[in-house]
Amino acid sequence: MKLLLRKYAGPFSGMLAHLIQRATGLLLLVYLFLHVRTIYALRGGPAAFDRAVAGFRSPLFKLLEIALLAVVILHALNGLRITLIDLGAKHAAQRRLFAWSLGAGALIFLAGAIPLFLSSVLGR
Amino acid sequence: MNSYQVQIRRSSPGHSYVRSYHVTSAERMTVLDALFRIQAEQDSSLAFRCACRVGMCGTCAMSINRVPRLACKTRISALDSPVVTLAPLPNFPVIHDLVVSLEPFFEQWKRIRPALRGSPSDTLAIILPDPDISRKRDCITCGICYAACGVKASHADYLGPAAINRAFLRVHDPRDSARQQRLKILNDEWSGVWRCHTQFNCTALCPKKIDLTETIGRFKRTLLVS
Repeated sequence: MKLLLRKYAGPFSGMLAHLIQRATGLLLLVYLFLHVRTIYALRGGPAAFDRAVAGFRSPLFKLLEIALLAVVILHALNGLRITLIDLGAKHAAQRRLFAWSLGAGALIFLAGAIPLFLSSVLGR
Repeated sequence: MNSYQVQIRRSSPGHSYVRSYHVTSAERMTVLDALFRIQAEQDSSLAFRCACRVGMCGTCAMSINRVPRLACKTRISALDSPVVTLAPLPNFPVIHDLVVSLEPFFEQWKRIRPALRGSPSDTLAIILPDPDISRKRDCITCGICYAACGVKASHADYLGPAAINRAFLRVHDPRDSARQQRLKILNDEWSGVWRCHTQFNCTALCPKKIDLTETIGRFKRTLLVS
């Protein structure tokens, strides 16, 4: 683990960013299918839709919602980083861009996750 | 003096295994020095390749602790591990032990027409050095970028960073007349620059510190507007 961290946090941050982008992309794809499937329940009327979303009110699902927020932020900011690089942002700065995207992502995540956790999971 | 366990992936056609050797290393000993010592003192059948021993020829490229590097430029002490794992370069067919065939690398190299195309009078013209691209001329065709590329590992047809870098030098050479032909090859959807996923592995590992991903990015932008 220590070796992996040293390897990917240093010169291989570009590869780590690529792996994160792929993994979060796949997770968002799974979420998208789940989302479309739930919306599809509207065909059965309001009662069927209520039944479909009932499971989403559990605290476990609320935690998964917070995880979804993290996935969306990682994917979006990393996508922004790749776009900047493709548009010609200084390639030498890609490691710094990656660190910035992680730092900014962490702040945005906390700003969204704390209220979500307090209201949805703890019910305050 | 430190003692290291050197694990080498030995290969011969149809047969592959890992063999361990013990080497006592001085502070400045390189992986190539260790290989010579193993060959001289423990196993004369060990096959590896080298030429200049000073990082100029690129012949001794191999996978060192799972990272493609030049054996002559890698000090054992810098690896910061009591176990040193050596294997042939990934993405290349193995000939014997640590010796790989560079044929796939040069097949891609030939595709971008690496030689200067122009009239004899043009090719004799002296061009002013461009600091922007001068570092890109330092490529020693060691194959490390090709071995490190994640895209190359899954797409055999991809040109690879070194060939694209070579094309870059030719396209930006005012004496060259085959710019459009090269750009057409580089613009190929499956094997050209669009295959690059900006993983930066080639840039991170190039022993000559060539920013290969930047080269590929510049081609992408050139092709987009042309």
